[in-house]
Amino acid sequence: MIAKKVSGKLKRLVAASVIPLAMMCAQTSHAAPLKIGYSDWPGFVAWQVAIEKGWFKEAGVAVDFEWFDYSASMDAYAAGKLDAVGMTNGDALVTGAGGAKSEMIMLTDYSNGNDMIIGKPGIKSLKDLKGKKVAVEVGLVEHLLLLDGLKKLGMKESDVTLVNAKTNEMPQVLSSGDVSAVGAWQPVAGQAMKGLPGSRPLFTSANEPGLIYDGFAVNPASLAAHRAEWQKFVKVWDRVVSYINDPKTQPDAVKIMSARVGLTPQAYLPFLKGTKLLSLAESKKAYVKADGFSSLYGSSKIADDFNVSNAVYKDHQNVDNYIDPSFVNGK
Amino acid sequence: MSKARWFSVRAGLSQRRRMILGVFSFLLPLLIWSVVSYVPFVWHPKVLITNPGDVDYLQVDMYVDKAVFADELKNMRTEGKAVPEGIPVNPVYLPAPDQVAKAFYTAFTTAPEQKDMPWLHESLWHSIKIIFWSFLLSSLIGVPLGIVCGAYVPISRLIEPFVEFFRYLPAPAFGALAVAILGIYDGPKIAIIVIGTLFQQILIIANTTRKIDFTLLEAAMTLGTTPFKLITKVVIPGVLPDLYRDQRILLGWAWTYLIVAELIGTSSGITWFITQQARYQHFDNVYAAIMMIGILGLGMDLLLARLGRKLFPWDQSQNKN
Repeated sequence: MIAKKVSGKLKRLVAASVIPLAMMCAQTSHAAPLKIGYSDWPGFVAWQVAIEKGWFKEAGVAVDFEWFDYSASMDAYAAGKLDAVGMTNGDALVTGAGGAKSEMIMLTDYSNGNDMIIGKPGIKSLKDLKGKKVAVEVGLVEHLLLLDGLKKLGMKESDVTLVNAKTNEMPQVLSSGDVSAVGAWQPVAGQAMKGLPGSRPLFTSANEPGLIYDGFAVNPASLAAHRAEWQKFVKVWDRVVSYINDPKTQPDAVKIMSARVGLTPQAYLPFLKGTKLLSLAESKKAYVKADGFSSLYGSSKIADDFNVSNAVYKDHQNVDNYIDPSFVNGK
Repeated sequence: MSKARWFSVRAGLSQRRRMILGVFSFLLPLLIWSVVSYVPFVWHPKVLITNPGDVDYLQVDMYVDKAVFADELKNMRTEGKAVPEGIPVNPVYLPAPDQVAKAFYTAFTTAPEQKDMPWLHESLWHSIKIIFWSFLLSSLIGVPLGIVCGAYVPISRLIEPFVEFFRYLPAPAFGALAVAILGIYDGPKIAIIVIGTLFQQILIIANTTRKIDFTLLEAAMTLGTTPFKLITKVVIPGVLPDLYRDQRILLGWAWTYLIVAELIGTSSGITWFITQQARYQHFDNVYAAIMMIGILGLGMDLLLARLGRKLFPWDQSQNKN
């Protein structure tokens, strides 16, 4: 009797569940909006201003911004679920080496102090790290930052002992006293220093502007099919940058951005300061082929060498294929 | 009644005493937590700076090790400068009960800063929906399969070895595959919870089904039932109370996979709140959110237990709770 009742109910439940589930799993075809993944790096959160203000509508382009954790956003892009995603130029190479090619059509910023190597009290410079332990997440940008800093002093990676740890756990790693320095980006870096008074940044991305470029990498197929829309998308960026940089409108911009990540505007401002937002005119310079960090090409080449030598991936990537200068040059 | 002994082996307790003990089981951990939080000499390894004095690197609201603070205090005294002031505190990772209680309340009363962001209760509701669909899907496959495995040895030999193997595979590792197949919204999240619960479910239900009294089946077969009727009329009614209890346990199991599942694809639900708050070290909010999950899970389980007593009044073991 009970069994009968239950099975009747079950049948109805099944019927009721199949339809919404089918709807949930249904993938929208790429007819309508451009699907873009973004996460909590200030240069990416900046787009929130354009979303709130309805500037994409004004520009006549339909976009659908999806909020992710940074690594989850790259996974979703690699799985072909997004038209574009915000990532660093180095991570674009890593994602591409795994099979999900992309083209960086615009830059949002370069890290200007937000990435740092932090020494514990008593460590005054990178030189003091000789023979000591340094915790970084191996293969990520802080590792590259450390190598770059050591190279500048004529030191090698073998002069320090690397300890592999998760970036999010660096505050605990630093205050444990087991290592002499850690590498982390904001907001984690700030918490690490707050948690161990007397610790200080030894080397930051402000010492090497252009080591880490951030931008939006687009799926080549989407780029070919929706070229006009992507052009409109890129044009909106200048409005965003001027709104954030103009002292009159900056408080409103910071309010919008901090709300997106759930912080107070005061707490968010320092993170914005460690990011050098690039207008399209400023990006143009980085899109000129050259060696070294002042060019996106040079910076990506260095990242590529780093990735191969650290076995992040096996074969060198052709950096030129990952960069499309035509958009910032307005062609 | 009050003369009755508390401790006699396996003897039942009066309703009132059970109540008292139930309340105490919550009060004890809370008491320990309060002692650690409010009694300074128990732990409090850090000093929260209220006035940095003349120490150049100290700031208000900074957490410093006790030893460092003592050193600086001595230094400033010997140098005749302004001494730093501070109060002993626990590390930022262990907020006090009152802070968590306050965070619990404010989390619900604070409006989201942006119009497209969910309120906390909306995030919770989203998480509950994910659990509901996951558990329903898992049960639609797991319960029938488990019952059939429990009833028929050949089917059990065909299905169970692989299921035994698969239940050891870490569900979260299938995240990327789930995103590739099901997109970035709720699909992959539901898939991960289903992977996490389904395989355990098949085995547990199969074992429960195997426990049915064989004389019942013999009697039914002597009376000439068809195999199908044997399952629907004898096996299922026979194991229903136990099966219901298994499902309650498995539902709790599904909850534990929620946090892992919600990290996949777009940020959503209660996990988005927890990870975001943890990143900015608002641990009072983190623990408040964890408590919400606990309260929801336990609340649901108590409801189901009550319902179970209504549904299966003949089953003595349902009343053991």
